[in-house]
Amino acid sequence: MNSIIGIAVKDVKTFFRERGTVFWTIAFPIMILLLFTAIFGRDIPFNATIGIINNDGETLSENAISRLNETGFLTLKTFTDTNKALEELNATTIRAVLTIPENFSQNLIVYGHADISLVVDGTNPDVYQLIDNGIRTFFAEFYKQLNPSYSDPINVKTEVLVVGEKIGYKENIVPGMLTYPLLFSSMVASTGAIVFEREKGTLKKIRAAPIPAINMLLGKTLAALFQTAISIIIMSVLAAVLLGPKLNWNIPLLLPIFFLGSINGIALGLIISCIGRAPQEASNAATTIGIVLQFFTGMYFPIEYLPTYMQQIGQVIPMTYAAQSIRNVMIRNATINDLAFPLATLAVSAVILYGVGVLLYRKWVEK
Amino acid sequence: MIIEVKDLVKHYGEVKAVDGVAFQVEEGEIFGLLGPNGAGKTTLMEILCGLRRFDRGKITIHGFDLTKDLLKVRACIGFCPQETLLYDLLNVKENLAFSASLYGLSSKKFKERVEFASKVFGISEFLNRRVEKLSGGMKRRANLAASIIHDPPIVILDEPTVGFDPNVKREFWELIKNLKKFGKTVLLSTHDMYEADEICDRVAIMNKGKVAALDKPHTLKKSIGGEPFISLRAKDSQAKKALTCLKEYNCILRDSEIQILTKNPWEFMTKISEELASKGVLIEKIEIIEPTLEDVFLKLTGRKLLEETQ
Repeated sequence: MNSIIGIAVKDVKTFFRERGTVFWTIAFPIMILLLFTAIFGRDIPFNATIGIINNDGETLSENAISRLNETGFLTLKTFTDTNKALEELNATTIRAVLTIPENFSQNLIVYGHADISLVVDGTNPDVYQLIDNGIRTFFAEFYKQLNPSYSDPINVKTEVLVVGEKIGYKENIVPGMLTYPLLFSSMVASTGAIVFEREKGTLKKIRAAPIPAINMLLGKTLAALFQTAISIIIMSVLAAVLLGPKLNWNIPLLLPIFFLGSINGIALGLIISCIGRAPQEASNAATTIGIVLQFFTGMYFPIEYLPTYMQQIGQVIPMTYAAQSIRNVMIRNATINDLAFPLATLAVSAVILYGVGVLLYRKWVEK
Repeated sequence: MIIEVKDLVKHYGEVKAVDGVAFQVEEGEIFGLLGPNGAGKTTLMEILCGLRRFDRGKITIHGFDLTKDLLKVRACIGFCPQETLLYDLLNVKENLAFSASLYGLSSKKFKERVEFASKVFGISEFLNRRVEKLSGGMKRRANLAASIIHDPPIVILDEPTVGFDPNVKREFWELIKNLKKFGKTVLLSTHDMYEADEICDRVAIMNKGKVAALDKPHTLKKSIGGEPFISLRAKDSQAKKALTCLKEYNCILRDSEIQILTKNPWEFMTKISEELASKGVLIEKIEIIEPTLEDVFLKLTGRKLLEETQ
């Protein structure tokens, strides 16, 4: 019994003396709790941006739009040109286009019923259904408040817009799954890289060699890239065989996304590895950062579940571009032109992350 | 001069680990840094290898200024620290290949160097064995081979034989002497005075971050004025009888040991043994005591090197 307690006491003391490990152990539950509170602790835990075209222009329709805006469930972006709105829908900057036709108010008042048109992005069934149901419910309730004797006089005609085939849940989840290795496998592979060398003492050998810091980081990157590639290949093959999703496996377009996405994940891991003093500290840091990032990137659940400010944060996280690009290629048949901006963003962020890595390596490792 | 260190200072917070150290190492010599733990030897060696920054001073290695030409300096040094810096899951040859890659060796040059290392360090029989399966001595030989795989003109060895048993230690000393035969300049740190005495051409005695003395081991020993003498212990409390027999010599009785001071103790040792034996005095131990570097350290610092190290 004494030995059991002795081992436990030693481990606890060691834990408390590794300040980085203590920090990340405390930071992990706090960050997860804050994230869940921010996301699901709201009255309406969903917010999507949709385009709105009001061809009616009467007080009633303006009133409806104003009330729709107040729900907090949708962020409305006004368009006058339908084609422009559909272009943005196709580019996924908005999730639906709601069109209130001419004479909407008149039809409603005179004939007791009117149509509105909703074109939704069908690439994410969750989002599509939430928007569709949300708008139907809103207009039903809206008119009931005006005239309680009528039920459902406003008919929402929904059209699902998907470039490619209409997708189901498995088509939706597979691109998200393929983002997983970019974030986790790559980061895990590189997080321990320098910490391991430091722990083993072999870092001294590498540092004594006539090589610049960037060579060290790039060497580690190649090895981590190899490990990440194994994860991606296994996951792709198994997903294709077991789930059989109807997706566009455009390998020439997916390869640069996987490559640049992995590079970003690896660079992040290397940064953690430069800062981390102990393997457990590095591992805790990678887990916390990885889990937090997956919320922002829309890997598993739509970013529309995030509060607006968190969606905006997600837009500056490079991995979000990788996640969205994989989804766009596999579901929306995106072309190389569509990928130019996200790929450039990923490349620039990789260069920045490696720059930070070199600085940290010199500051923390070579000091 | 292949290594020149001028007025080197390195602080760790308030502690001065290296305090105004200056020395020069000649090409092709084995130069030792002798001192107890905490004397600043490892810090000094790591500075020379570009692994640590220093606060003041100037270091020139192989004609390159360490501060300005760090990578060039690193390229001409083979550094072998106390720890075995090999990857357990790779075999010895793979470890050598990794080291060679760090120095940009061509595959042809690598083959030549592996052959050389196999011959000089006797690693050929376990070249293809994983490091995790090697004995401690094998690992240290492989470690040394890996540190000079790029054929550097300077080899820096930090406590190369620490923890070795005497036989392995001697074997290692021969390996280090071999490096000199192949034209390498060796800079090594040690707290073992016998090691410094046995293999170093010149020794810098370090104490509290400073060089307390620097010269050839023989000259250092001579400098403290000690002469060799015969030390003798007689069996069965026959010390007084032995003293009587040796009255023609200059003898001192100290803690039941007789110290016989004579100009040429090597010449007289056999004669004295025979004389005592003929008069029925049985000798338990007889030896010639020479001043050691330990004595030099004691004289310079007022403390014993071994005690400091322990």
